Amino acid sequence: MIVSFSSLGLGLVVGYLGQRSRMCSIGGLRDYVLVRDTGLLKGAAALLVSAWVGFGVVRLISGTDAGHGLIAAGTTPSGLRAVAAIAIGAIVLGFAATLSGACPLRQHVLAGQGRVGAWSFLAGFYLAAVVYSSWIEPSIGSWVL
Amino acid sequence: MTAGAATPRREGVRFDVGARAGRLARSAVVYGIVAATGAIIVGQWLGVSPPAAYGLCSACHGRDLADWTLNHVEGKHLFVTAAGAGWPLLTVVGLVAGSFLAARRNGEFGSINIGGNVRQFGYGAVVMCAALFVGGCPTRIIIRTGFGDLAGLLALGGVAAGIVGATLSMRWAARR
Repeated sequence: MIVSFSSLGLGLVVGYLGQRSRMCSIGGLRDYVLVRDTGLLKGAAALLVSAWVGFGVVRLISGTDAGHGLIAAGTTPSGLRAVAAIAIGAIVLGFAATLSGACPLRQHVLAGQGRVGAWSFLAGFYLAAVVYSSWIEPSIGSWVL
Repeated sequence: MTAGAATPRREGVRFDVGARAGRLARSAVVYGIVAATGAIIVGQWLGVSPPAAYGLCSACHGRDLADWTLNHVEGKHLFVTAAGAGWPLLTVVGLVAGSFLAARRNGEFGSINIGGNVRQFGYGAVVMCAALFVGGCPTRIIIRTGFGDLAGLLALGGVAAGIVGATLSMRWAARR
């Protein structure tokens, strides 16, 4: 039960701050390329640096076997095919998300503040989730990593 | 005279704290710090794992919630990660509700339709499939990279290349 409450609580906080700050994971780089605005890019950098520092602190205080040094254990792609698959999938993800106007998390925030296009995005998003779990994932397996 | 002088000073301090909190909430850097810290806390100590670095993801948590619902309502056996198998992950519900609260509180809520909804539907489907394929939405890819995930770093580079390519192609199309 704590999983549901903690995830709901984090979602509420991130959703609130996401609406106020207009933060978007892809918007930072898009704005920098378009108009050299670094406001959102600083947010993405803060997310990356905070995660890096935070996980480092967690490893120090809990002594978990999450890995040594900069690379966590068990996260290396299994081969050239996996590297190519991840790279192509990520390029498609970045391309489509930029054309849609925002990253998936920002689309949830836009839906919460009443944007109809974001609700259309989320309809396709969740329909694709079920399609992916039902038919695509069983056919490709978990060979990516 | 003393009491009369003290009251405005207290109000002034309270107003200043509120205004400062409002300014902080509008900062993308504060968002990044809070989101990363919250994702680490719920992932490490509040049960939102495995997989690793799973505290915050709009694609994976949305997939888990959709599949969990179908599994329990329709009796299907769709894939749900260990974190969301017992009780549902409600991150995406919280995101929409938190944004709704913020928008209502600050007078920014309003139903806005700028068209292109069928196109947005298609983009949503493509983005979800690609996100599940590479293991997370762009936000989780950044968090995974901070975790030290080499595949996450590779995905982050790919997403950046996709963003630059899409932005330049949109600018090229706009200038034609």
